[in-house]
Amino acid sequence: MTDKIIELLKKSEADAYSVSSKVTEGWEFYFIKHQLDQNRVRDVEHINVTVYKKLEDGKFLGSASEEIAPTASEEEATKIINQLCERASLVKNPYFELNKEQVEVESKEYDPEKMAKDYIEAMQQIPETSGEDINSYEIFVEVCKKRFVNSEGIDVTFSYPNSAVEVVVNARNKDHEIELYRMYKSGTCDKEYLVRELTETLRFGKDRLNVKPTPALGKASVLFSTEDAGSIFSWVAAKMSAAMKYRGYSNWEKGKEILSDVKGDKITLKARRELPNSSTNFAVDEEGAKTRDMYIVKDNIAENFWGGCQFSYYLGLKDSFIVQNFEAEGGSQTEAEVRQGQYLEPVEFSDFSVDQLTGDIAGEIRLAYWHDGDKVTAVSGGSVSGNLSELLKNIKMSKETKQYNNIIVPSVLRLEGVTVAGVE
Amino acid sequence: MKAKFSQYLTEIAPGLKKLRDELAKSYEYVSILATDSVGFAVRASQRVKSISGNTLTSERGNVVRVYKEGLYSEYAFNNLDLTDTEAAAGKIKNILDKQLSVLKMTESEVFNTPQLDDEPLELFVEMDTDSLPEETDLSALLAKLQGFSDNGKALSEEIIDVTVSAQSMHICKMFLSANRDLRQSYVYSEGNISMVGARNGKTDMAYNGVSDREGPAVFDQLEDVIKKTFKELEDNFSAEPVVPGEYEIITNPEVSGLIAHEAFGHGVEMDMFVKNRALGAQYIDKRVGSDLVTMHEGAKCVKDVASYAFDDEGTLAGDVVEIDKGILKTGVCDALAALRLGIKPTGNGKRENFEHKVYTRMTNTMFDSGDSTKEEMIASVKKGYLLSGMFSGMEDPKHWGIQCIVARGYEIIDGKLTGKVVAPVVLTGYVPDLLGSISMASKDYVSFGTGACGKGYKEWVKVSDGGPYLKAVARLG
Repeated sequence: MTDKIIELLKKSEADAYSVSSKVTEGWEFYFIKHQLDQNRVRDVEHINVTVYKKLEDGKFLGSASEEIAPTASEEEATKIINQLCERASLVKNPYFELNKEQVEVESKEYDPEKMAKDYIEAMQQIPETSGEDINSYEIFVEVCKKRFVNSEGIDVTFSYPNSAVEVVVNARNKDHEIELYRMYKSGTCDKEYLVRELTETLRFGKDRLNVKPTPALGKASVLFSTEDAGSIFSWVAAKMSAAMKYRGYSNWEKGKEILSDVKGDKITLKARRELPNSSTNFAVDEEGAKTRDMYIVKDNIAENFWGGCQFSYYLGLKDSFIVQNFEAEGGSQTEAEVRQGQYLEPVEFSDFSVDQLTGDIAGEIRLAYWHDGDKVTAVSGGSVSGNLSELLKNIKMSKETKQYNNIIVPSVLRLEGVTVAGVE
Repeated sequence: MKAKFSQYLTEIAPGLKKLRDELAKSYEYVSILATDSVGFAVRASQRVKSISGNTLTSERGNVVRVYKEGLYSEYAFNNLDLTDTEAAAGKIKNILDKQLSVLKMTESEVFNTPQLDDEPLELFVEMDTDSLPEETDLSALLAKLQGFSDNGKALSEEIIDVTVSAQSMHICKMFLSANRDLRQSYVYSEGNISMVGARNGKTDMAYNGVSDREGPAVFDQLEDVIKKTFKELEDNFSAEPVVPGEYEIITNPEVSGLIAHEAFGHGVEMDMFVKNRALGAQYIDKRVGSDLVTMHEGAKCVKDVASYAFDDEGTLAGDVVEIDKGILKTGVCDALAALRLGIKPTGNGKRENFEHKVYTRMTNTMFDSGDSTKEEMIASVKKGYLLSGMFSGMEDPKHWGIQCIVARGYEIIDGKLTGKVVAPVVLTGYVPDLLGSISMASKDYVSFGTGACGKGYKEWVKVSDGGPYLKAVARLG
C-alpha cells in the first residue's frame, strides 16, 4: 500500500511529502504470578503521510499529516491526500527544508519468538522467596520494519527490535504486604541485567516492610541511584531541543554556560548513534536524517541544539537530527566518594516528575534510605521537590555510569538543598 | 444531529462475522472489536501551527478475542484479507498456537478462567452531537484559535507564547460475538490554552481546558478562559515554595477530580483485586471517607469525553456508586476480572486502542456535591490553601498513598485569601486519612476531560473527573 500511496502523492498537488510506514509483529504475554493470564499478537501496519504545500511564493511551508489505513481503497487514499493538501495550505509556518541525504542502512533480522522466550525464562530465574516474590508481569516484544520515504529522494528501510517488561514485586511479613513497580525497556531481552535488577528490587521490597516515616528534613542532600537520574538529564536534553529553543521556552545559548555559578560537577550530555541493546538504535531519525554521536552540552557549555528538520532549519542547525540515545558523562568522584556523609536516597517514588519547561521536580517517596553516618534507615512517605535550574548548579556525579535503555547516566547523582517534606 | 455510524465498519461487518464463525470451529468463544475513529487535532500559537488527523483515539483496526481450555488469547490486526476468512482464521490460529508452543517450552501454566457469558444483545447507538469533526471548516477553526492565541499574547510583554489546541474525534466501534452485535458512534471534543511566560528569568506556564461529548462548537468556550489563564500565570510568577507541612485545604473541582481519580479511582479498578494489588478489596462495606464522601464512576454518570454506550468488551455502560456516604461499596470491573471475582462487569473494560489489551479502566469519576458555598468554605479555614489547577497524579492502590502535583495554592489565613501564592504544590498522604478529613463540599458539580489516564506508565485512555470544591486536611510539600 505504501508504494500506491507514494504514486498518488506524486500525482497530487503536494509540493513535497513524506511517508513513514511501520509493520509490527508484536508478541505479548501477561502473567499473574507465573501463570499465563493472556497471550496476544499484534500484526499491524501503520502508514503515516505528511503533505507539504509552499505558500506565498515559498515564504511559508504548510504541512498536514494523517494515517492512511493499509486497507484503504485508492479512492479513499486519494481523498485523504487531497484533504491533506487543503489542510497544509492553511498552516502558514515559515519555510523549511526536508532532509535530503540518502542513508544506507544495514538490515538485520530479529525473532519475536526467541525474544519472548528469553523474557519468560529470565522471569523464571528470579530468586523469589516466601517473603519476596513476583506478583505479576507483562512481556511486550516486537519486531518492527520501518520505511521512510520523502519527495527529496530519501527511501530507507530498516528493522529493529523493541521490548519491555512491566514487573510488580511483592514483599510481606506477618503484618502486611507491599509492592514495588518496575518497567524495563530494551532492544532484545538482556536476561542477566533483568535478573540482577529484579533481585535488587526484591531486596528493596524486603526493606520497605520495615520502614520508618521519612524525617522532616527541610533542605537535604538527595542522592539519585535509579532510573530517575535519567529523568533529570531529560530536562537538560529538552532545554537543548530546537523546538524548545525556537518557541522561546529555552533561554540557553550555543557556546554559553547553561547554568551560572556552578559549584559542583559540570554537566556533559551527548547524543549517541547507538547504545548497547537500546530500543532506539536507529541509523536515521523519524524524518530520515542520519543520526550520529554529538555533544549537546560539554562541561556546562551548550554545544549543539538538536531536533527535527523544521525547527533545526529555523535555528540554522546543520546536519541535525532527532536524538534517540543520550549519554551523560560521569563526574569527578567515585560512587563511594559521592556517597560520603548524610543524605537521603529515594529508590522508589510514586512517580518522579520533572517539568520539562520549568525544571520543577517532585515525587512522593515510597522507599528511601536515610544515610546518617554509618546508620542507614529505610523510610517512606513525604516528598522531595525543588527546581533543577538551581539544584544542578551543585551536582556531584559519580565516575561510574549505568545504562537505562536509551540513556547512560552516572550511577549516582547527588543534589544539595532539595526540599524534603517528611511525615515525622 | 446524530453522529452517523461508520460506513466502513458497516461494510466489513459481514466479513468479520464470517471470520468469527470460522474461528468458532477452533475456539469455545470468539468476539471481535472493530474500530474506525477519525478526527483532527489543530494547534495555533505565535510561533508554529499544525493540523493532524492523528490523535490518541484515532484508529482503524480490529482485535479478535478467543477462548479455549481456560485461556483467553487475542490477535490485533488491520491488514487481513476478509474476503478469504478461512485463510485469515488459519493465520490467526497458527500464530496463537506458536505462542502456546513457547509457553509449553517454558513449562508455563495457565491462569484458568471461566468462559464469558454471551447473553444475546443488539444495540445500535448514534449519539447526538452539535456538529461533526469531519464537517468542520478547519480554516475557520484555525483562524479562531489563532485569534485566541493573539488575544492572549497581547495581554502582556511577559508572555512568550500562547498555544491553543483543539481536538475533536468521531468514535465508531462495533462489537461482535456469537450472540452480540453492538454498534456505537459518538463525538467528543477537547480544547486547551497553554500560556508560557517569563519573569525575572523564571519561565512558567498556566493551562486551562474545555471538554464535552459534543462537536467542535465546544471550542468557543476557550475564549472565556484566556484571561483566567493569564491571571494564573501571573499568580505562578509571584509564587513561592510552600513550607512543607500539614494544612487545611480547599480543592477546586479540578483538583477534587484529580483526588477522586488518583486516590480512589485506580484503587478500586478490580483487575487489581484479582492480582491482590489493591487494598480496596479488604475495605468493601467499610469506612474509607467522611459522611460527605459519595463517589460515582461510570460512562453514564456524567456527559464528557468518556461517556460511551458500551465498553471494549461489549458490556453496557454503567454508573457505579463506589463510595456511599464514606462507605466503600464496590469497585469497577472489566469482564474477565469480573469472571475471576464472580461478579458482574460494570462496563469499564477499555483498551488504549484496538492493538492493546483490555484492563479495568476509569471513565468518569466524580465526587457528589454538597450544600456549602465556596465562600463559606474559605471562611472556615484558619490556616491553609485553596488548591487550583493540576499537573499530574499517580496512583498507589496497594498502599493507598497519594501523589498529586497541583499547579498552585492560594493562602488562606483566618478565613480570608491573603493574596500569597505557593507553587507548585505536591499533595501527599494516606487516602483514608485524606477522604476521612473531608468536612465540607460545595454545591458545584463540574467535570474535566482534557487529560488522559495511564495504568502504571502506559495504556493511555480518555477519562474525565471532577466534583465540587472540597475542604480537607492534607500534607503539602
